[in-house]
Amino acid sequence: MIKVIDVTKTYGKGESLFTALYKVSTEIPAGASVAIIGKSGSGKSTLMHIMSGLDRPSDGEVIVNGKSLVGLKPKQVDAFRSSEMSFIFQAFFIEANQTCYQNVLLPLEIAKVGRRDRRKHVLEALRAVDLEDKVDSLAGNLSGGQKQRLAIARAIVNNPKLLFADEPTGNLDSATGDIIIDLLFKLNRERKITLVIVTHDLELAQKTDIQIYLKDGEIEKTVAKKRQHRTSPNSSKKVVRMV
Amino acid sequence: MYISDQIRRAGRSLRSAKARTLLTALAIAVGAFALTLTLAASNGAQSFVNNIISENFDPAELIVVADKNVISGGGGAEPTEYSGNFGSSLSNGGAITQIKRLTDSDIEKIKNIYGVESVREDIAVNLQYITRPEQKKYVATMQSFSPFLKPELAAGDIPRPLTGKQVLLPEGYISSLGFSSAQAAIGQTITVAVKKPTTIPTTPQTLAQSAVQSADDSVLEEFTIVAVTKKASTSQPGTELYLYTSQDAARALNDITTEGTDNFRAYTSIYVKVEDGENEDKLNAVQTEIEKHGYFAQSVKETQEFLTQIIDVLQGIVVAFGLIAIVASIFGIVNTMYISVIQRTREIGLMKALGMRKRDIGRLFRFEAAWIGLLGGVIGAGIAIGLGTALNPWITKQLNLGDGNKLLIFDPIQIGALVLILVVVAIFAGWLPSRKAAKLDPIEALRTE
Ligand SMILES: Nc1ncnc2c1ncn2[C@@H]1O[C@H](COP(=O)(O)OP(=O)(O)OP(=O)(O)O)[C@@H](O)[C@H]1O
Ligand SMILES: [Mg+2]
Repeated sequence: MIKVIDVTKTYGKGESLFTALYKVSTEIPAGASVAIIGKSGSGKSTLMHIMSGLDRPSDGEVIVNGKSLVGLKPKQVDAFRSSEMSFIFQAFFIEANQTCYQNVLLPLEIAKVGRRDRRKHVLEALRAVDLEDKVDSLAGNLSGGQKQRLAIARAIVNNPKLLFADEPTGNLDSATGDIIIDLLFKLNRERKITLVIVTHDLELAQKTDIQIYLKDGEIEKTVAKKRQHRTSPNSSKKVVRMV
Repeated sequence: MYISDQIRRAGRSLRSAKARTLLTALAIAVGAFALTLTLAASNGAQSFVNNIISENFDPAELIVVADKNVISGGGGAEPTEYSGNFGSSLSNGGAITQIKRLTDSDIEKIKNIYGVESVREDIAVNLQYITRPEQKKYVATMQSFSPFLKPELAAGDIPRPLTGKQVLLPEGYISSLGFSSAQAAIGQTITVAVKKPTTIPTTPQTLAQSAVQSADDSVLEEFTIVAVTKKASTSQPGTELYLYTSQDAARALNDITTEGTDNFRAYTSIYVKVEDGENEDKLNAVQTEIEKHGYFAQSVKETQEFLTQIIDVLQGIVVAFGLIAIVASIFGIVNTMYISVIQRTREIGLMKALGMRKRDIGRLFRFEAAWIGLLGGVIGAGIAIGLGTALNPWITKQLNLGDGNKLLIFDPIQIGALVLILVVVAIFAGWLPSRKAAKLDPIEALRTE
C-alpha cells in the first residue's frame, strides 16, 4: 500500500521557484490498479517518482508498505526499490546491444539473486510476456511491442509488489498498445502486483480501479470503482474517495 | 551487485564499443610495449654483465690498485701531481698519462695483511709476435691465467695450476699457425717473441744502427700448447684472442719487456685473494685494511655495480619515455570513460531506478577502465614479447653476444606486475568519470530521449 500525505514538490528558488506538486494526498491499496491522469506538465511523472522513492518530496510524507520513504537513507531506498518495485517507461529503456536474456537479468543481478536461480527466473519472466523464443536474440532487433514486452519481463522478473508504468503505450500503435495494457492488467490480476499507470489516455484509465486526475500539480479528483472481476478478498475494504 | 557480475557487465559494455575501446587501449599498449622491452633489455644486459663477471672474476678476490683512476673509470676529479716515481702508460715516453703503479714492496705489504691468502699480479704482455717454423708471424697479447677462469675448450685440458711455459691458445690462431685441428695443436710448441725496451740513445746514431739494435732486442721463447680455448661469448670484451700462460711465465716475459724502465715490476692492478672471501664480511674487512694502507680495492660486486649503473641510466631514459606514454594514455582513458558515461546516461538511470547502489555504479565504470588497462597492457606486453622472442636470435647475432646470451629476457613476474600497475593506473584514470556516473540523477537520466 502506498500512502501519499501532503506532498509538495518545488523546483528552483526565489524568482524561478516552480511548484510541480502541491499538497497532494492519496492512497493506493495493495493489489489495486491505478491510473494517474493529467495533461502534459501536470506533475504525473513527478508524483510517480516520489511514490517510488526515485525522487524526494520537498515537503510531506510517502509511506510504502508501512515504511516512510522520506526517512530512509539512499542506500535503503535503493534496496527497497530493488526488492519491492519496478518500472516500465514510455521509451522502453532496454539495452539494444544486449540479448533479451541479459536485459531481463539486470534486476536479478542488482538484487544479488543467487546464480543458480537466475536462468529459471529469466525464462519464466520471458514466458509470461510470450518472448521465450527470443531469449538469446539481441534486444535491438525486436519490434516496438516486443521491446515493451521485454521491458515488462524485466520489470516482473524479481516478483515486485509494485509496478510503475510511465506512459507504457506512448510509443506504440493502438493495437500493440492494447496487448501491452492487457498484459499489465493480467499481471495485476494474477500476481497481485499493484499497478500504477501514468497516462493521458482516458480510455485506458477507465480500466483501472482508481483514477487520480492531476491538474497543475494538484489532485483534481479521484475516482474509484468497484472491480467486476476482482478476485482479491480484501477488495471490499477499499476506500472510495471523491474529491 | 556481485563484483563478478560487475566485471562481466563492464566487459560487455566495452565490447559493444569495440573501436573506441581498442583505440584507447592502444595508447596504453604503447607504454606497455616500451616498458616491457626496456625491462627485458635491462634483464638481458644485467644477466650478460653477471655472466661476464662470474666467468672472469673470482668473487673471493679484490682488485687492488695504487691509482684510483684505474678503477673509478675516467679521469679523477682532482688533478694528479707529477711525480718522477710514477710509471706511465707509454713504456718509456713522457708522462702523458701518469698512473701510479704497485711495486714489489707494495705487494709484499699487501701479502702481509691479515686475511690475504695470495696475491696475483694482473699481467698482460704485448708480444712482438708469435709464430711456428715455416709460418707467418702474428701479433698477440699474453695474459697471466687466473686460476678461477674456466674457459670453454676446443681441445686439451688445463693443468691446474698452470706451470712454466704452458700456454692456452685461442681457437682463432689454429689455422693461422698451420695446425690442421685444435686437437693437433696439443703438445706442440709455438715461438713467442718479446722485445726489450728501446733505450733512448745517449749518443747520436744512424738510422741503420738503431734498426740493427732493435732487431737484436727480440727475445724468443718456446711455449707448449696445453689447451685450445673457444671464443667464449662472456669473455671480457677485447680478450678473445688473448693467450694465457702461467703467472711465472707471464712475469718473466713482462720483466724482459720492461727491464730498465719505470714499468719494471710495477703493476697497474693486482688480484688479492681473500681467505674465505665468499663471505662478504671477510672480504670487506680485508678491503678496509688494504685501503688503510693507501691502496684502492674493489670487489667483484662493486665492479658489477659500476657496470650495472651504466645500464640503469640507459634503462631510466627508456622507462621515462614509457611512463610519458602511460601518463598520456591516462587522458585517453578519462576521455573515453566520460564519453561512455554520457552515452549510457539512460542505462545508468535505469539501473538506479531498479535499485542499483551508487557505489556499485561507480565500481561498474571503474571495472570498465580496469578492462581497458588490462587490454592495453596485455596487447603491449604481448606484442613486445612476440617481437622480442622473434628478434632475439637476430639481435644476439648482430651484437655478437654469443650463443646462449639474449639481449631480451622476459620475466613473467615483472610483466605481470607491469600489467597490474597499468590496471591500477587505468582505474585511477576512471575515477572521475565513474564518480560522475554514480552521482547521476536517475530522473534526469531517464528524461533523456
Ligand atoms: N528538474 C526540474 N526542474 C524544473 N522543473 C521541473 C523539473 N522536473 C519537472 N519539472 C516541471 O514540473 C512539471 C511536472 O513535470 P512532470 O514531468 O511531472 O510532468 P508530466 O505530467 O509527467 O508531463 P508529461 O505528460 O509531459 O510527461 C513540469 O512543468 C516540468 O516542467
Ligand atoms: Mg511524464
